[in-house]
Amino acid sequence: MLADSKTIDELLKNWDPEPDSLRIQVTDLQHSYGSGDAEKQVLFNNHLSIPAGEIVIMTGPSGSGKTTLLTLIGTLRSVQQGSLKIMGQELNGLSAAKIVNLRQEIGFIFQAHNLFESLTAYQNVRMSTELLSKNEKESGPEIKAILKRLGLGERIHYKPKNLSGGQKQRVAIARGLINRPKLILADEPTAALDAESGREVVTMFQELASQTGCTILIVTHDNRILDVADRIVNMVDGRISSNVMVQRSSTLCSIIRGFPAFSELTASNLTAVADSLQLRRFTKGESIIKQGEVGREFYVIAQGSVDILIDGKPVNRLEAGDYFGEVALIKDQPRNATVTATESTACFMLSKVDFQSIVDASPPFEDEVRRAIFDRQ
Amino acid sequence: MKTPIAWRNLTHNKRKLAVAIAGVAFAVVLMFQQTGFENALFDSTVEVVKQTRCDLLLLNPARFSLSSELRFNRNHLQLAAGVEGIKSAHPLFIDNTVALFHAKEPTNPPKPRPIRVLGVDPKKALFHSVEITAQMPKLEEPDTALIDRLSKPEFGFSFQDRQLVGNTQGSLLGHPLEMVGTFKMGRDFAHEGNLIVSQKNFSKYFQYRGADPLAVVDLGLIQLDDPGESDLVLRRLGDLMPEGVTVVTKEDFIQREVGFWSASTPIGIIFKIGTVMGFLVGTIICYQILATDISDHLSELATLKAMGYGTAYFRRLVITESLILSGLGFVPGLLLSLVVFEINAQATGLIMAMTVPRAMFILLLTILMCLISGWFAMKKLISADPASLF
Repeated sequence: MLADSKTIDELLKNWDPEPDSLRIQVTDLQHSYGSGDAEKQVLFNNHLSIPAGEIVIMTGPSGSGKTTLLTLIGTLRSVQQGSLKIMGQELNGLSAAKIVNLRQEIGFIFQAHNLFESLTAYQNVRMSTELLSKNEKESGPEIKAILKRLGLGERIHYKPKNLSGGQKQRVAIARGLINRPKLILADEPTAALDAESGREVVTMFQELASQTGCTILIVTHDNRILDVADRIVNMVDGRISSNVMVQRSSTLCSIIRGFPAFSELTASNLTAVADSLQLRRFTKGESIIKQGEVGREFYVIAQGSVDILIDGKPVNRLEAGDYFGEVALIKDQPRNATVTATESTACFMLSKVDFQSIVDASPPFEDEVRRAIFDRQ
Repeated sequence: MKTPIAWRNLTHNKRKLAVAIAGVAFAVVLMFQQTGFENALFDSTVEVVKQTRCDLLLLNPARFSLSSELRFNRNHLQLAAGVEGIKSAHPLFIDNTVALFHAKEPTNPPKPRPIRVLGVDPKKALFHSVEITAQMPKLEEPDTALIDRLSKPEFGFSFQDRQLVGNTQGSLLGHPLEMVGTFKMGRDFAHEGNLIVSQKNFSKYFQYRGADPLAVVDLGLIQLDDPGESDLVLRRLGDLMPEGVTVVTKEDFIQREVGFWSASTPIGIIFKIGTVMGFLVGTIICYQILATDISDHLSELATLKAMGYGTAYFRRLVITESLILSGLGFVPGLLLSLVVFEINAQATGLIMAMTVPRAMFILLLTILMCLISGWFAMKKLISADPASLF
């Protein structure tokens, strides 16, 4: 009935990353350009937490503030108001010297290649390794390997003048990736590339993310690479309008589709539900809902088991894949039973508020759920 | 070794590099030209003293410069000759202002011009120049003179042909004078040419100096038994000499003369201003080159900033570029200056000497010039904003 338990284990494990493992932590970030009468606020109350190893794609219309956010995260702009931590380091008020050091842990890939015309592809990449004062014996083979990997094996010692636009962009990408940075910030990295090299670049992104745990933030409009995103952040008018963990969302969808309550939902409603689900963990013996209280949440057991008690007497035991509290979504009735965890238990929870907002967005959804939930009772 | 990005960026575009080198070289030539003329002023002025064999000089204390015609009594020289440690004391007679001289041609003679006339005892080897010493016996003849080959051509002599010059008739103060040979001394800012005559002939031409034209001396040339004892003899002589005559070492005399021209005449200051102008022009050219180079690479340099290169790195980068530029510009500038000096020397008869310390001084100015412009250009680089790259 449920997806394999390993997938669920993985999902639950990564649900709430430790604050220490967050590579980017944006809290109530505001930003304005200009001053006095000309002051124009471009970022409003933004919050964003991104753990290590995640590939984030940022989209949004131009002027939505995504570039400003990207440059703030990249330490290229000073934080004015709010908190912004990268690699655990608060950027608000950080000294210039420390910012320079921090930049060495960030790989930048700009839309323009910005290569020195006077240097060969190899030397341009070397400008990056020299920052870490690696000697050439060590860095030389690495540089050659990465250029070869990006299809520039024959042109390692060519100057930019003799490279095509796509080849130049790949040299710039090699320069951004060579030091295996903890954070990669890329602005339309694949725009100048053909499908094949674009794919090679994002495959490298994925490898880096999974092997070195580096976090990659890509601003792009290139639909061809959306599939690599763990998370898609959409910005509108200076605010993060949606922050969807696509990877988790699709895993969740496949999991909850297995639940009888949701098996008949359309794909879009399923995704909406998956995105609204919150994870709740309970210890053994902990009460999840209490008889007589007004219920506002609906639960699906992801892991563990619970006892249903009416007037203190156990009447039933529910296991992973079962659900309870569904009446709360439709009616404001007091709970008719108490539910207690019999072991360490994890449940996906859908609150009435979130449920209502999905209903508002898609009225037929309510019917789907009503039918799904109540037809089976 | 780190990637030599300063060198690569400067030399990448050959055409721009050529323009940059030409610009700096131009400033170098300008500065060499100005200091060259300033030095030529000093060198040429004291050349006559440098060429004479002497350790100490006797002169009228009021003689503030070589060209001021203030003299002292010849008796004082004879007094000095007897002092212990002095090998010889000979007079040098100099006359300038009224010595109107020109080549005497049968038709259309050139206008007479003042020339400096040096009167010496032809039996004594008073000049270092072997050429002069060898020709001294010729001056024993009446109405004979040696003429400086570097004298102004306007006197009417074709100095290129020594043989011809040697047999040309001239006219000094209206009296005929036969050129019996030539020598090399050079003009300066006060004198257009030089003649050497015997003191006997000198007295004949310059009778206006008094009943005995040789009774007053311009410079007393004193040679010592031991040149190392010059301080000792100087003091001994100084105690002995009455008012109206003073004694100085050859070095002090040269320095005093240079000091007079450098500080008390506007000429020295004019050339200093010229040097400063060259320096400023060079600084502007150099700034233009460095600033253009930085603007051309602004986004690449901003990328380096984003990568984590700090301010110190960019300082080093610009300083390196400045030093490369000064080096690349100085060498052709020096070579070109040598050519220009030669042309100047031939055109003016001035002594345009390129010495190692003088070349080093200009090299230092060139480096300073490039560093100052680098400092200004750096501001542009420091303001490069990596946030503008996104």
